[in-house]
Order: sequence, then structure tokens, then C-alpha cells
Amino acid sequence: MLSFGRVLPLLAYRSPKMWKIVLRTPLSTFTRKTLTHSVPFQLLQHNITQYQNPPRLSTLCTSNSTQRTRVFRNPKIHFTWNSELLGNSSGFCSSGSPEETSCCWNCKTPRPFLICQSCGSVQPVDHSVDYFMIFGLERKFDIEDGSLEGMYKNWQKKLHPDLVHTKSKEEREYAAEQSARVIDAYTTLRKPLSRAIYLMRLEGVEVDEEQTISEPELLGEIMEIREAVEEATDSQALNKIQSQMEEKLRHWFNSFANAFGSKSFDEALKTIQRMTYYHRVNEEIIKKL
Amino acid sequence: MLRHATKRILGLGLAESRWSAPRFYHERVVDHYNNPRNVGAFDKNDPTVGTGLVGAPACGDVMKLQIKVDEETGKITDACFKTFGCGSAIASSSVATEWVKGKQMEEVLTIKNTEIAKHLSLPPVKLHCSMLAEDAIKAAVKDYEAKRGKPVASTTDKAAEA
Repeated sequence: MLSFGRVLPLLAYRSPKMWKIVLRTPLSTFTRKTLTHSVPFQLLQHNITQYQNPPRLSTLCTSNSTQRTRVFRNPKIHFTWNSELLGNSSGFCSSGSPEETSCCWNCKTPRPFLICQSCGSVQPVDHSVDYFMIFGLERKFDIEDGSLEGMYKNWQKKLHPDLVHTKSKEEREYAAEQSARVIDAYTTLRKPLSRAIYLMRLEGVEVDEEQTISEPELLGEIMEIREAVEEATDSQALNKIQSQMEEKLRHWFNSFANAFGSKSFDEALKTIQRMTYYHRVNEEIIKKL
Repeated sequence: MLRHATKRILGLGLAESRWSAPRFYHERVVDHYNNPRNVGAFDKNDPTVGTGLVGAPACGDVMKLQIKVDEETGKITDACFKTFGCGSAIASSSVATEWVKGKQMEEVLTIKNTEIAKHLSLPPVKLHCSMLAEDAIKAAVKDYEAKRGKPVASTTDKAAEA
């Protein structure tokens, strides 16, 4: 936990627009560079609090048995979520499968979270920890700008495989997996569309990859936009379409947040379809620009 | 000009992010991809034209397939398509336009995606691209019928859905 203290002064002296994420960068880049992206102080504090108070598996499992729990529909996710604890987002409860460790494999300190708070050993991946938990965030669509970057760098400072190259083979493997998972978590949550798809997956609703639709209104619109992109001859025209897409995306992100918030998953899926189409348009524009 | 436009569409296709690992496609896919047949558009307000517009939302693909029908005989005299999507989707729609030409409308409704997929030897992850082509044919016939105000006799339930 000491390193959090070390990060805070860095945050105060950040310079704008300097850092760029390079995945799989050597650890040295994480440690040398200052954190330059805006991370609200309060949020960071909030996150730190969470990491100082990691999920208490045993107590949560027993003491809250009378509270309302929700069982996830996705058979892949074997844990129950205690909805009363969503507020601080650290409440989760393992289903108690034997392979899941609730103690550090090295020093036996209970409740390690990605790493052991006591000895710093990297722990094996616990799949009941979802991406939102990794970043100490509530499981909802809207996340504040910059709430991921700081945590992402912090995790990489602790989990990066370069750090454990002198350790045992097991721990090196844990570090490789954990660090890769944090990268996945970061890239998934950073972009609204992938975040939306991930949220739906956590609810047990998968986007059907093979579904075909014949909605003339939507498809007609997309066809027109794609033709416009194809015919656009200068970057000005492309930029104009791009800003239109951004506007549409913002609108549909809101629609998704509302639909998801009210558990209208069918509607949420529809908004994801729209967003995917607009997102594709943007990808094409970027290729042409 | 048309050629140029086609190349542009194709350019979009190859870089499709969903073409993940290097995979070898059947030469027919490559052929239809490099030389797609019948790219273009008919006037969708022409009463002899049926337009099928379908999409695969998970990939962000969109496919438009149009048929021109001889009102006397119910025979499809011409067909064209425009697809924004991956190579398999382009090849599937290109094959579909070739296959529907010169056929009766009832006949084309029996074209199955599995036949298109088999013809192009599409890998399992690309089967839905051929599905898109099948749906596009059905949607085009349905659109033509709707314009004419009478359904084709042997329209199957599935076609009605599409």
C-alpha cells in the first residue's frame, strides 16, 4: 500500500497530455514516467480505501445471509453478488470452489487481491473478480474520465512480469496472467462500446455474433453513411461524418446506460447494435484519414 | 468507375478486424473478393426491383441485394449488390447475385446459406456471412412481392419471416 502514497505526489505534478498507453511496455516506463492523466483525487482516495479494505470473503459470505443476493444467470460466473454492498463495490463472495484461494499462497495472509497486501506476492487469477472490481469501480456503464488510468498504472507497477523475473516459475506465471488480465480489463472498460458489451456479459447476456437483422430504417441509414464515407474525397468531409458519428454514439451511450440501468436488456442489446454500426463507420473513417 | 468503387469496398473488407488469425480462404472467396460480380444498385423505387437490406450487427456488416424481375414470367433478369463487410460477406453476396440471375423467384427462395458456404468453403466462424446472403435474397423477394401486392406461391414460412 506504500506505493499509493508514492503515487499521490506524482499526481499533483502531472503535466497534461503527455502520457500515452503502450501496452506491454517494460516496467521501467511505468515507474519512470509521472502520471500525467487526470485522475480525480477523491476517486483515487476512494480506490485506495478499497484496496486497503479488500473484499472480506469469509465475513461477507456469512454475515449478510439475510440480505438480498442476486445470482447471476451466466453459468460461467459462479458467484453471488450482494446488492447491498454495491455501494462500495468491494463486496463479493466466492462460491467457495476449492481451487479459489482466499489466502496468500506465500505468506497465508487472508484475502489477497491480485497481490498479497502483506508480502506483495502476485496471486493466481481469481475469475470471480470482474474487471470493475480490479479498478475499484461500481458495476455500471458511466465511469468518470480518467478513473482507469491511474489504477491501471498502479497495478502494472505491482504485477508487471518484469518485477518478478527472479521469483518462482509459478509466481512469474501468475504475474504474466494477472498483468495480461489487467490490460484486458483496462482496454475493455476504457472504450464505452466494449464496456457496454462486457457489462451485458456480466449479466449473462451475450451479443449474438451470428444474428442477422433486417431493419430498413437502421440499415438504410448505415448504408447511406458508409457510401458517404466511401465517396468522401477529402479529410474535411470525413471529419464531418466522424463528428456526426460521435454525436450519435454519445446519444446511444446514454440510451444504453438508461436501458441497462432499468434492466431492459433487449433494448440495451439494440443500442449495442447501433453503437457497433456507428463505431464501424468511425473505424473506416480512421482508415481513410 | 464501378471497378474503382468495388476495390474501395474490398479495401474495407480485407482489413476487417474480425479476420483474426491468418487463415487460408478458398480460391473462390479470393476470386469473388477480388472480382466481385454485379456490384451496383438499381433504382429501389422501380416497381420491377426488389431490394433486400440486411445486416450482421455484431460485425457491423451491411448488405444490400437487389433483383430485377420480369413481371410477366416472375423470372429474375438481373441482380446486383453492395456490401460493406468482410471478404466472406462480399464473396457470399457476389455468389448470391450470380445464382439468382435467370431463376424464378420461388426457386431462389430455396437457396440455403449452407450451399453458399459450401461453394466458398467458408470456415465455421464465417457461416453467418453466407446467412446474410440468404437473408438478403429472401428480403429482396419479399420487397418485390410487397410492391406487387401479392406473395409468391411457394413462399416458405422462413422467407416470410425474413
